[in-house]
Amino acid sequence: MTPPRTPVLGRRSLLAAGAALPLLARPAIAQNSLKGTKLTILAGSWYVPENNTQLDQLAAEVSKDTGMEVRVERFAGDELGTKVASVIGTGRGADLGVGVEFDTYLYAPKLLDVTDLAEEIGKQYGGWFDVARAACMVDGRWKSLCIGQAPAAWNYRTDMFAAAGVDKFPDTFDELLVAAKKLHAKGTPIGMTLGHASGDARSTNYPVLWAFGGKEFEADGKTVAINSPETIAATEWYAECFKYMDPGVTAWLDPDNNQAFLAGKCSATINVNTIYLAARAAAPTDPVKKNIVENMNHGLWPKGPAGRYANYNINVWLPFAASPNPEGQKAFLRAWYSKNFLPNWTKTGQSYFIPTFAGFDAMDVWPDDPKLKIFRELNKLNRLAGYAGPPSPAAAEAVSKYVLVDMFAKACTGQMKPAEAVKWAERQYDQIAKKRRA
Amino acid sequence: MSATTLPAAPARPRARRLASWLDNERTLGLLLVAPVVILLAALVAYPFFTAIRSALSDQTLADAGEFVGLDNFANLFQDDIYLRALRNTLVYTAASVVAKLVLGLALALLLNETFPFRRLVRAAVLLPWIVPTVLGTMAWLWMFNPNFSVLNWVLTNIFGLRGLPWLTDPALAMVSVITVNVWRGTPFLGITVLAALQSIPPDLYDASAIDGANKLQRFRYVTLPLVMPVLLTALVLSTIWTFSDFGVVYGLTQGGPMNATHVLATLAFRTGLTAGQIGEGAAISLTMLPLLLVLIVWQLRRIRRSAVA
Repeated sequence: MTPPRTPVLGRRSLLAAGAALPLLARPAIAQNSLKGTKLTILAGSWYVPENNTQLDQLAAEVSKDTGMEVRVERFAGDELGTKVASVIGTGRGADLGVGVEFDTYLYAPKLLDVTDLAEEIGKQYGGWFDVARAACMVDGRWKSLCIGQAPAAWNYRTDMFAAAGVDKFPDTFDELLVAAKKLHAKGTPIGMTLGHASGDARSTNYPVLWAFGGKEFEADGKTVAINSPETIAATEWYAECFKYMDPGVTAWLDPDNNQAFLAGKCSATINVNTIYLAARAAAPTDPVKKNIVENMNHGLWPKGPAGRYANYNINVWLPFAASPNPEGQKAFLRAWYSKNFLPNWTKTGQSYFIPTFAGFDAMDVWPDDPKLKIFRELNKLNRLAGYAGPPSPAAAEAVSKYVLVDMFAKACTGQMKPAEAVKWAERQYDQIAKKRRA
Repeated sequence: MSATTLPAAPARPRARRLASWLDNERTLGLLLVAPVVILLAALVAYPFFTAIRSALSDQTLADAGEFVGLDNFANLFQDDIYLRALRNTLVYTAASVVAKLVLGLALALLLNETFPFRRLVRAAVLLPWIVPTVLGTMAWLWMFNPNFSVLNWVLTNIFGLRGLPWLTDPALAMVSVITVNVWRGTPFLGITVLAALQSIPPDLYDASAIDGANKLQRFRYVTLPLVMPVLLTALVLSTIWTFSDFGVVYGLTQGGPMNATHVLATLAFRTGLTAGQIGEGAAISLTMLPLLLVLIVWQLRRIRRSAVA
């Protein structure tokens, strides 16, 4: 089955939406006030191509409706982050950008305060989820607006699990370990990314820490709390489970778990829905992919002694404060969050991004495919790195240095004993925190 | 004197003044050097002094920060990841440069021989050097891929051996990034030395042959001394480029596994741009300076000596 085609947005439909919605019907966005202005948007390439087309179409529509020249510049992978950093550093080059949740904290002084707009939009959709507030608010003010969460779930092969005598996806970490042993014995190991993968590494490893009750910081966000019996227990579990994985996982970058799964070399891994979407798109002409589509499903993270958690990459709109066109920024953001655009955009992504508004639960934004149903349940599990403290520059630095990932990897590969690896990580966290306290 | 000739009168003294001004060697010299000085000031000096200022502050991308003296440098030398990256950089540079020297010299001697399609082969060996780093690295990434390594396929299916964890094992990951750097940098050394080889007068070889020198002796006493100045220049440039290399490591491993291949350039990028700690990132970059400075000063003095000679 191919992904549904993008509904074409018409100028009239946007204007109609504007009439229906106070967000779009504001006289402040009248044509005359924005004519002759420019708006440059920095964006990446979202996995579902139609989502990118929709952004381009929206830019064209906003241009037509407001007289403002809207331009979308795309950057691949990590290049987008570098470009955003250079705009923040120089104050030139763009007006709006797509960023990740940490960018809000790293760049807060250089971002426009969009609190009024955020509250308006929140009301429109029944309120923002807490995770959106955590990702976008600094010192009680909205400095970015949440685009969505890319929910990572377990992707697993039902046929391989059945062949290994595992009849359902494990509900606890103990069950996962037992399943991993059985799957390894059958030559179809599970794989958890332990390489320096900018996206998958943290969505794979932070949930293990939290499920065992471990945490990086105390609630104040400053006191390092990584060295605890809970973290050691998580590391011991990981080191044991690693024995039944493909050792190549320590070098996995973001595409590698997708490739291993699609090649049938891996029976389960943590990923967004892109493995399934890629297989489903290829299935009509590729019997191997057809077999994968028929024999895979998605599962929730297992429960640990402290509960069931997940960590997702979050995309946010960053309104650059140095932009000479704040009205243009707001006009575009209003159009983005309009009811004529955002629900369609979300539905088209088939849960590649899950929304961050409570009101979306009752709306037709969810995928129809039964194998993607689980993504609807994932909103409640997401925690942001830095827990039990708020997201912070210190937590962002720990993520960028892969401290937690390397802690697990050092224990898994036998380079250090679990307690030593945790001690090593504590030193790294201490040093990161010390810089902020100074 | 008619009125129409009046306006032309002051132009002549002005032109004369300009001519005499340009006749002054000191003025003309300054004028000729000025464009280069302005370019160097804008593109080298300004970023360099900005980096020093940043390294002495706690500047982030969003905040100009405050002066913190040498705190950033002091913190670095207590940081395991930095110390690991420093060690990796030294190993990466030393191993790569030695391998490039040996292979580059061998390549040059080989290409200096007469054989069919010599020109085509000479052009072809330059490919790794010409291809953009990212493209070359991506090709190698596929060859080392943890899931589908073509090298492992060859080892397993042709030689009956076990596949190797190219990017998974910390030591082998370092070997892998060094291999790619050597693959990329050897053609530069090879072609540069080849140019030097071709400038050696054949009479010298004839004379040494008449004197009874064998091939090895001819290489030792004729070839090597005559290519040495070019070889040293190429070697210094290669060391500088390898020491500050970013693309190969970033493309292949992003510094992993477990920081086993992190070098100073990739760590500075991660710290300065990904984590937004511009001050600390600049400090990491500046710690590359001492070795580079020694090499540059040595090279400049050598060039000056040879110019005088």
